[in-house]
Amino acid sequence: MIAVVERDQVLAIAQDVFAAMVDGDAGRLQPWSGTLPSLEDPVVAWVDLHGPWTGRAELTTERATAQDLARALLGMGADEAVSQLDLVDAFGEVANVVGGNVKSLLPRQGTLGLPQVAAAAPVVPGALLVQHLPLSWRGRPLVVAVRAFDHPVLSEGTPLA
Amino acid sequence: MRALVIDDSRTMRRIVSGTLHPLGFETHEAEHGRAALDLLEGGLDVELACIDWNMPVMDGLAFVVAVRANPAWRHITLMMVTTESEHGQIVRALAAGAHEYLIKPFTPEAVRDKLDLLGLLPIGEHA
Repeated sequence: MIAVVERDQVLAIAQDVFAAMVDGDAGRLQPWSGTLPSLEDPVVAWVDLHGPWTGRAELTTERATAQDLARALLGMGADEAVSQLDLVDAFGEVANVVGGNVKSLLPRQGTLGLPQVAAAAPVVPGALLVQHLPLSWRGRPLVVAVRAFDHPVLSEGTPLA
Repeated sequence: MRALVIDDSRTMRRIVSGTLHPLGFETHEAEHGRAALDLLEGGLDVELACIDWNMPVMDGLAFVVAVRANPAWRHITLMMVTTESEHGQIVRALAAGAHEYLIKPFTPEAVRDKLDLLGLLPIGEHA
């Protein structure tokens, strides 16, 4: 069975999630223009997809941006300190909703793991980067990526079994 | 009216509760299905439960089944609020006794529309 996770679909999911959950209006999350700068103190939030199609949906940004994301989601003031617990919960939930909607693109559904947040996601040998979207959230870099596990012969953007 | 918001994410509980408050709901929160059952067994009475699917300890589907197994909770309207958008999952939830299904991400208007369908909007809030 063939399934396609298209770049435009992933972008639309990310923009919908940010518009509905974070910003309250559309347009704050856009494709990054130009070369993405290296991320300072990066934080990754991801969910793994299990079942007929195994893979991962992940968001990466700088810690300061993830903290602002948590402030926006939790209704905190700009100067309020964000605990690690709040950062993990808020950034993880964004990844959870993005991942759940990516899963909905697949013709054979599996299950969604619980969201996780860390400085780096664990490496899965043979994983293929299916989509990699450098984005700008309120002018700050944020990357949305989808990886496929157990599909070593496919190239980026290839329809997935 | 009172609502029980069940989600393992504090962030999502806040978002759902924040959507319900302007519609006249007093909200209570639980981090998984078991904690929600504990609240109901402890005497909390609600008209609405908004239920995530994927949660540790007890997931949303198991919570729906448990609530529907108790006649004393028959009056509670159960609305799944989840990223699980697969048709088969929706059918499973509805077959188990959920009344409505809302897929994340959602807008406040979408919540309002679902509650309107369910007859849970106060007078003056109807579309």
